[in-house]
Amino acid sequence: MKNGTLFFLGLFASLTVSFAVVLLANHQLGALTPYFDDGEGKAFPDRMPGVAARGQLVYRDLGCASCHTQQVRRPGFGADQTRGWGERQSVARDYIFQPFPQLGAMRIGPDLTNSAGRKPSALDAEDLMNLLYAGQGAMPAHAFLFNQVKVTGEVPAKALKLTGSAAPAAGYAIVPSEQAQTLVAYLLNLNTVYDYPESRPVVQAAAQAEGAHK
Amino acid sequence: MSHDTQEVSANDAHARGPLLLLLGSGLVWLVLSGVLALIASVQLHTPTFLASCAWFTYGHMQALQETAFVYGWLANAGLALGLWVLTRLGGEALRAGNWVTVGALFWNLGVTLALVGIVAGDATGHSLLQLPRYVQPLLLIAYGAIAVAGVLAWSGRRNETSYASQWYVFAALFLFPWLFSVAQLTLFVLPMRGVMQAVIAGWFAQGVFTLWLAPLALAAAYYVVPKVTGRVLPAYQFASLAFWVLIVVGAWTGGRHLIGGPVPAWISSLAIVACSLLVFHYLVVWLNLKGALGHGGAVMKFTAFGLLAYVIGGCADAFTSIRSFAVITQFTYFTQAQQQLALYGGVSMLFFGVLYFAVPRLTGKTWASAALIGGHATTAILGVLLLVISLGVAGWTQGQALLKPAVTFPEIAAATRPWLLLATAAYAVLLVGNLMLVVNFLQTLAAKPTVPAAALFQATSDIKETA
Amino acid sequence: MSTSSNQDPRLTQSAASDTSLLAAHEKAAGKQADEKGNYKLLPLALLFGFSGLIFWAGTYLNRFSGQFSGKIFDENSHPSTGAEVVAKIDPIVLGKKQYAAACIACHQADGKGLTGVNPPLAGSEWVNGSEERLVRIVLHGLKGPIKVLGVEYSAAAMPVFGKVAGSGYSWSDEKIAAVLTYVRQEWGNKSGPISTELVTAVRTKEGDRKEWSAEELLKIQ
Repeated sequence: MKNGTLFFLGLFASLTVSFAVVLLANHQLGALTPYFDDGEGKAFPDRMPGVAARGQLVYRDLGCASCHTQQVRRPGFGADQTRGWGERQSVARDYIFQPFPQLGAMRIGPDLTNSAGRKPSALDAEDLMNLLYAGQGAMPAHAFLFNQVKVTGEVPAKALKLTGSAAPAAGYAIVPSEQAQTLVAYLLNLNTVYDYPESRPVVQAAAQAEGAHK
Repeated sequence: MSHDTQEVSANDAHARGPLLLLLGSGLVWLVLSGVLALIASVQLHTPTFLASCAWFTYGHMQALQETAFVYGWLANAGLALGLWVLTRLGGEALRAGNWVTVGALFWNLGVTLALVGIVAGDATGHSLLQLPRYVQPLLLIAYGAIAVAGVLAWSGRRNETSYASQWYVFAALFLFPWLFSVAQLTLFVLPMRGVMQAVIAGWFAQGVFTLWLAPLALAAAYYVVPKVTGRVLPAYQFASLAFWVLIVVGAWTGGRHLIGGPVPAWISSLAIVACSLLVFHYLVVWLNLKGALGHGGAVMKFTAFGLLAYVIGGCADAFTSIRSFAVITQFTYFTQAQQQLALYGGVSMLFFGVLYFAVPRLTGKTWASAALIGGHATTAILGVLLLVISLGVAGWTQGQALLKPAVTFPEIAAATRPWLLLATAAYAVLLVGNLMLVVNFLQTLAAKPTVPAAALFQATSDIKETA
Repeated sequence: MSTSSNQDPRLTQSAASDTSLLAAHEKAAGKQADEKGNYKLLPLALLFGFSGLIFWAGTYLNRFSGQFSGKIFDENSHPSTGAEVVAKIDPIVLGKKQYAAACIACHQADGKGLTGVNPPLAGSEWVNGSEERLVRIVLHGLKGPIKVLGVEYSAAAMPVFGKVAGSGYSWSDEKIAAVLTYVRQEWGNKSGPISTELVTAVRTKEGDRKEWSAEELLKIQ
C-alpha cells in the first residue's frame, strides 16, 4: 500500500459501495405509495391524526423504544402472532406516513405495532392512562406525565379514576398532562388493520419444495 | 540495519499537550458513562429507581451511557492513541497540534451538549446515534479539526513504507466523517421515509464499529504487539487482505438487526453474508496478534483480552446473525451482551492496553502506581466477563421465553432478574476499575519526573523474525 | 534485553524500534504463499478458507435474498412466481369478516334468519343449490316474494352488494365469492366453494340491472 492515492480511493470506494446498497433499498422503499384497495374503496395505511403524530414525538423523546418494539415478525418466525401482537408480519408500507418510525430493538415489554387493534384485549384510553400513571411489573410508573390538581367544584372530566393506594389525597385529582394525552392518542392509533399483498404469508408448499429453512 | 535505538524522542514531548487533553477528557467520560450505565442497569431490575422524573427514564439513561461511552470515551481515546501511533510510525513531530487542541475542546463541548440534550428528551432514538441533531454538525467540524493532524502525519511520514496500524488509523480518520455526514444528511436534513431510517441507522451504527472504532483499536494493537514482544507478526502477508475485508464488507452488516423485520429479505440476507465474510478478517487478526497472549505485563494483558473479545465477538456476531439464532437473540439482552463484548471487551480493552504503553512515553514518566494498574486490569477483566456472561444468559433466557406465548412478561422479568442484578454488579466492578485508572492517570500527570525521560527507556533493538 | 516479566510494571519497555518494525513488516508483507517453491500450509489454508466463505456467501444470497426484490419479506420466497407464491386470503376468513360486517344483521349469526321476515341461509336450497342463482342474488340484490325451506317470504329485500350501478356496498368479486363460500360451508351447509372467476363472469354477462325476482332466477340453472 505504497500508493497513497490508490489507497485513499479504495477507502472512498468501499464505503460508497456500501452506501449504494442503502440507496438500492431506498429505491425500493423510499417511494412506496399507499395501497389502494378497490373493494374497500380507500387507500392504506391511514395517516395518523395530528394529535397522534405529536404523541409519537412524546414516545420517541421518552425513549419508549428502548423497551418496546414496533415490528411484528412473520407467522412461524418467533411467537409474535401467538402472543397476539399482530396477525401478519409488518412490512415497509406500514410506516410510510410515520415521520419517525419507532421500530425499536428490545422487547423488555410487549410489541406495540398493533396494540390498539388487538382482539379482544386492546387497552382503552382509561387502561392506558392508568398503566402510564401507576406502572405495572417491569413497566415503570410515568407519574411525571400527570398533574395533581386541587378539586374545587366538580372533579375534572379527564381525571383518572384511581382507587386504593394509587388514589390521590381527598380533595385532589390526578389529571393527565398534554404529553400524556397525545401519547395515549398515539397508542390508540397503533394498528395494522389491512393486509397488503406483500404481507401475506408465503404458501408453505412452495417453500418446502425449495428445501429446508435456513 | 542501523536504526534509531532511542525509544522516545522530541516528537513524543511535542504531541504531549493535545494528546493528553484527548486522553484525559476521554477518561472523564469513561467514569461518567460508568455511573450512567450503573443507573440504567439498576432500572432494568428495579423500575421504580429514579422513575419520578422525565429526565431519568430508562430510555434516556441508556442513550446517555451509550453516548458518553462511545462519543466521550472511545472517540477521545481512540483519536489520541491513533494520532500517537501515526506520529510514532511516521517519525515526524505531530503537526497541526493546535488544531487537535481546539478540536478536542469543541468535541467535548459537543458531547456535553449532546448529553444535556438527551436528558431534555432530544435523543434521536437511533442506536449509537442518539446525539441530538443540533450538536451533530458541531461534532463533525470538531472531528475534522482533530483529523487534520492525522492526515498530515500520514502524508508527511518519513518512511515511504506503510504498516497495518497506519492503514487502520487513516481509514478510521477518513471514513467516520464520511459516514457521519451522510447519516446526518439522510436522517435529519433530508430524512428518508419510513423504514429507510432504520436501514440507514443500522448502516451507520455498524459503520461506527467496523469502520471507526474497531480500526482505531486494531491500529493500536498492531502497533503495540510487535513493539512489546519484539517479534515480526506471523502471517503478516494477510494483514492487508484482512484490512480490506473489514473495510469493504464491514458496513454491509447493518441489516442483521432487522432480520424478520419490515424490510425486504435481501437486506438481512446481505448482512448475514457480510457477517460471515468478516470471519476471515477475525481469523487473520487473531493469527497476526496472538503473540500478545501469555506475554505478561499490564499492556499485553489488556491487549490479549481485547484481542480475544474482539475475535470471539466477531464470530458470535456471525453465528447469531444466522436466522435460526437471530429468532431467539433478537430484541433481547443478548444483543446488549454482544455490543458490550465488542465495544467494552474488544475496543475499550485494546485502548487500555495501548494507553498503559503510551502515557509513559508521552509524559516521560512511569505510571504512578503499579498496584492501581494491577487493580484496574483485574477489575476490568472480571467486570467485562461478568457483564457479558450475565447479559448473555439473561438475553438467552428472555429469548427462549419470548418464543413461548404462555410465558408472560412479569414471568420473564422474574426469570431474568438475578442475571440483571449480576450485570449491575459487573457495572459497579467496572466503575471501580476505571476510577483506579483515572486516579493513576492524574497522579502520573502530577508527579515530578525523577530522571530524564530518555533514561527511563531502554535502548531498543531490531525486531526479530517470528520464531 | 530484559523480558517484560522482570520489568517495572509501571513502565512497559519496547523490544523493537519503530524503524525496524516498519522495515521488517514491509518485507513480511511481500511474502508469497509459494516462496522459493516451498508451499506453506497456513497461507494456502487461509486462501482456501476465504474462497470457501465467498462461495458460501454467494450460495446463501442466491437462495435467500428473494432475488433482491423490494416486495419479498420472507427469505424463502421467490419473486419469479410473483403473486402466485403469495397465499391468497383464506376465503372462509374473509367471508366470515364480510358476513359479520353486513349480512349478520338480517340473516343472524346462526344463519337462520328471522322466520317470516329474513330467510335462513342454513340448509337453504337457494344457498346450496345453483351457483349461478346465488351469485346473482348477492351481486344485484333480490326483490319480491320468495319461498325458502317451504316458508313464503312475501317482501324479501336483499340489497345490491356487487360492483354494479346502484350498489350501496360495491364489494369486489373476491369478497362476494368469499362470503358465498363461507355461507355454503357454515351452519351444516356442505356445498362447494364459489370462485371469484364465476362472480366476475356473471357480473360481466349481466352488467348493470335492477334487482332480481325469484321467478327470473328460477329460469336460470
